Amino acid sequence: MNLCVKTKVFRPQLIGSICHFATTSPESLEQNEQVLIDDSDEALAREAEIEKKRNISRLSAGHFNQINGRRPYELPQHLAHLTVKYNRKLYGKYGSASGVNPSLCWPSKKEIQEKLEYESVAFPFTIKEMMDAAAQKKREEQEVIEKREKDLAAKFAKVAIWKKELNDKLNKKVAEAQAAKEKKERLVEEVRRHFGFTLDPRDERFQEMLAKREKEQKKAEKMARKEAKEKQMLVKLQQKNAEISEGAKKS
Amino acid sequence: MGSRQITEKSLSMLRSLPRISLSNLRDNPGSKKTSKRGRAQHGGDKHGAGNKGSGQRQNYMRLGYETGNNPFYLRVPQEHYYRGHHLRRQYPPLSLLQLQHIIDKDRVDINKPIDIASIVKTGTYNFYPDQKHFGINLTDEGIDIFKAKINIEVQWASEQVIAAIERNGGVITTAYYDPHSLYLLKNPKKFFESGQAIPRRMIPPPDAIEYYTNPENRGYLADPDKVSEERLKLAQKYGYQLPNIESDPEYSMFCERKDPRQIFFGLEPGWVVNLKDKFILKPKDEELLQYYSA
Repeated sequence: MNLCVKTKVFRPQLIGSICHFATTSPESLEQNEQVLIDDSDEALAREAEIEKKRNISRLSAGHFNQINGRRPYELPQHLAHLTVKYNRKLYGKYGSASGVNPSLCWPSKKEIQEKLEYESVAFPFTIKEMMDAAAQKKREEQEVIEKREKDLAAKFAKVAIWKKELNDKLNKKVAEAQAAKEKKERLVEEVRRHFGFTLDPRDERFQEMLAKREKEQKKAEKMARKEAKEKQMLVKLQQKNAEISEGAKKS
Repeated sequence: MGSRQITEKSLSMLRSLPRISLSNLRDNPGSKKTSKRGRAQHGGDKHGAGNKGSGQRQNYMRLGYETGNNPFYLRVPQEHYYRGHHLRRQYPPLSLLQLQHIIDKDRVDINKPIDIASIVKTGTYNFYPDQKHFGINLTDEGIDIFKAKINIEVQWASEQVIAAIERNGGVITTAYYDPHSLYLLKNPKKFFESGQAIPRRMIPPPDAIEYYTNPENRGYLADPDKVSEERLKLAQKYGYQLPNIESDPEYSMFCERKDPRQIFFGLEPGWVVNLKDKFILKPKDEELLQYYSA
């Protein structure tokens, strides 16, 4: 029978409740008062029995442990209780008291290799490479914009000329049409004057006369062109002569 | 006079009536409706469901269904500006006004650097990493009354917000966290209780790299010298005097930044936090150290 000596310890809640309800301050407890605590096997067994009887929660052992902040089972009850994940969780939740070796918390060599492999696939580029690629992409986009702007500016510079050309072309077309119309009208008028009375333009005689007139006109035009050509030739010849004579004078 | 007689008579009647009490009060007629369904010959005819069709059969059609017509919501077949919207990163907003509220109510400690973890812990901001939420977008609502001097780290901020914080002598950083890191930041306790070592933060994806390396956005991957240059530039642009934080008594706090691989302030990747016994386990194995420092 082994007896041990302990200083008497009061439960703090009890003291608190005494303080709360007492009208006078409770008698100060004598410090270092020595009491005898029996911790023989018999006594311990009796205490355990009493504790067991006090537990009227009707909770299962696992749940009872859990709500008292202990790991629910000491022995694995299920296949899942053998996994690393479960043991890590036990360590995380119940700390060192869980009895789990904390070295489980870190990944194994194989897991590290797998993670590194995953990362090499998921993040193939370094930050520097990605920055360069982004800068390159931006530069290319900017280049496309600049090229387009340049192109537009060059085209815009020519717009005035192109506008003028187009307008000239259109005006020329209109003028030509006008001239042809006037020419035709003149011919018709001449024919009409020839006959001395208004003749239906669909008349055969009228048509005949018109054709004849046209022919004459064409001939005249041809002659005029020929004369103009000759005149030009003459002018050219004269110029040449003058040049030759000047050259002779100089020499 | 007839009317006087009537008045007298009714008054005498009233006098003879008993006082109003609970025993002679009752509800207005029709104010109470029984929840029961009539079942007699005519009471049990249609029960309000109408005659024929979906009304009677109570087969409620799906929303937007137009009984065979081309539904309105499908008439415009495609909207290209939504292409890939389900893959885009989202940043749920937190306004400067809300931030000011949090600070005024002392729900966050401004003597320490503020990050998404401390803002989530205030209970005024929530986000869901599984719904493509990538953290806080600090918005400019309440910009004119924002007066706090803080060192804050958010995930997205506009130019005027950066100006508002720096004008008060504060510091702002925009930092990217991968979704897994965000789960950790959202609920650190849950992670620590899972008994795992703190992982490394992953690098941003290629389409986000430009934002987070840009000193104009105060990106966490930007060159610090360029950032201070940009601080000065922004002060000139918005026309305020940039407070000198070097002479601030809390200069060391304002200089605190996370490492690009770090998730929690004060905790390095590879550490295990034991909440129950209140201590930290650090790895010593060479391979682990190399892995966590890479």
